[in-house]
Amino acid sequence: MEQITIGIDCGSAACKGILLKGGRIAASCVKPTGWNPKETARTVLEDLLQQENRTDEGIRVAATGYGRVGIDFAHKKITEITCHAAGADYLLPEVRTIIDIGGQDSKVISVENGKVVSFQMNDKCAAGTGRFLEMSAHRMGVDLSDFPKLLEEGKCCSLSSMCAVFADSEIVSLLAAGKSREEIAGGIIQSVVTRVMALAGRIGIESPILLTGGLAQFEGLRNVLEQQTGCPVNVSHYSRYAGAIGAALKA
Amino acid sequence: MIEMKRELPQVFESFAEARKNGFLAVKKIKDSGKGVVGQFCTYTPLEIFMAAGLVSVSLCSTSDETIPDAEKELPGNLCPLIKSSYGFAVTDKCPYMYFADLVVGETTCDGKVKMYELLAKKKNLHVLQLPRNQFTPESKALWRSEVLRLKERVEKDFGVTITDEMLRDAIQKRNEERRLLKELYELSTLCPPPITGLRQLQILFGSQFKFDWREKTEEIQNAIHNIKAAYEAGERPVSEGAPRILITGCPMGGVTEKVVKVIEEAGAVVVAYENCTGAKQMDRQCPEEGDPITNIADHYLQIGCSIMTPNPNRFELLGRLCEQFKVDGVVEMTLQACHTYAVESSTVKTFLKERNIPYLQLETDYSTADIGQLSTRAGAFVEML
Repeated sequence: MEQITIGIDCGSAACKGILLKGGRIAASCVKPTGWNPKETARTVLEDLLQQENRTDEGIRVAATGYGRVGIDFAHKKITEITCHAAGADYLLPEVRTIIDIGGQDSKVISVENGKVVSFQMNDKCAAGTGRFLEMSAHRMGVDLSDFPKLLEEGKCCSLSSMCAVFADSEIVSLLAAGKSREEIAGGIIQSVVTRVMALAGRIGIESPILLTGGLAQFEGLRNVLEQQTGCPVNVSHYSRYAGAIGAALKA
Repeated sequence: MIEMKRELPQVFESFAEARKNGFLAVKKIKDSGKGVVGQFCTYTPLEIFMAAGLVSVSLCSTSDETIPDAEKELPGNLCPLIKSSYGFAVTDKCPYMYFADLVVGETTCDGKVKMYELLAKKKNLHVLQLPRNQFTPESKALWRSEVLRLKERVEKDFGVTITDEMLRDAIQKRNEERRLLKELYELSTLCPPPITGLRQLQILFGSQFKFDWREKTEEIQNAIHNIKAAYEAGERPVSEGAPRILITGCPMGGVTEKVVKVIEEAGAVVVAYENCTGAKQMDRQCPEEGDPITNIADHYLQIGCSIMTPNPNRFELLGRLCEQFKVDGVVEMTLQACHTYAVESSTVKTFLKERNIPYLQLETDYSTADIGQLSTRAGAFVEML
């Protein structure tokens, strides 16, 4: 019988799960983390097992992400940095740089052969994170899922604040000054990318690049990243699962 | 001569038991007639106080308790060590700061220098003009004259005469203390080391708060003996495969133990401290032959702190310790808004890259709010070794 392993990446916004069967992705699941990461992780595990009609018997589980500490049913706990590197290498063999934009932090990881060489994470600050984007979307009365639509025409106005709190009041002023939501959305994405590029500058970017995290599917974000790095930025259908895949590989 | 402080602070009754005991312990020293000198920095030549029969103690605070009080005057975006130390001075919450008859500072970093101006309004303060170059004849001459000026200040304030003989005796005693603490931390060159990095730090840090030289040296000797005996009996508190980490950067102790904890919880072991709490002040011996003031001045001026420019001595020591302790990775702890260490971290990174030694910089403050972020960074670093 093919070996099954499970990886659970419990982030601040979403809890992602991957079931690997004989080294291939057989099931995936994502749920909002909510207020109880431990319970959410348990439901993600059960969902994955149900998709495969299995019990957890004989299946090794590894947990990663900020919520990993509380996941008592995991056999292994590994940091999201190591897991992202392994998962990204699985999705894009020979990947050298990972740009991960998560809910509460963003990070740039330099990788060789699936192993971390160095990494940079943003500080205790929401600049350049998914949370920043979410707050900004909320301020403009847009659902986060509709945000990419605002980026389609590539409009942009400049946003001088990178701090999530200051940017929030800046957006209020821009709206009052009659700027369109499309322009402001473009400015917000620029701001996120500027923050990520500051992190990247400390370790250097090498191709190929893989974009991971919950915002990987934002077409507009990827375009701006490509402009600023001057390199193609790859996205996989499973980009947001990179951490979970890495955990499953290391379980 | 100054009048020495012996009475307890007005807020004494509001203190918890442990703090009350701390105050009573220092009061006992004061009641025995001894004067107390407080210092902030490894550059302060403690031999002068020892020769004068005074008790000296470090005033660098390691808790965020008094930071809100300090921020009534000091800016928020300032190094937590400076804010916390100043906060303890204004709130009378630290027995050492409170009972210090003389406080000695140096012109090290900008934050401290300006804080001393404010502190001088509350304490009997002496500031040594420390040059930022360690090698020119002018720097050496300036620093020697500053050490001499400190000796004269101590003589005047405490009504004592400090002879060369007394200074030579103090140099010998301090050398013995340095030699013993070095012997203790060098036990961690063993593989696996006989103690965890947390225990090593606690012994090194704690030794700053023992005031009787004989008792202190005996305690260190006992600690060395006990650690060796336990190791020989087969005790292994650290696993053989644990990656060996050296810590460099800002001074450590108290709340910043959190950095050691996250590294060791991730499965590595801290074997050496290249900072002021560790090797930086124990590594070298002060020459004993010749003019004691010149010897003391030359010895202290060579400490490799990031406030020096250039700062080759730090890198000489760092490189040597990495080899001696067979280090697998270096973690640098910089305190928020410590500009000299933060800027120099770029040079440290390059220095270690050339030697193929992985490096991680962790910036932190005196809060515990960042433990999650610290443990993810330290964990990922240990996983990549």
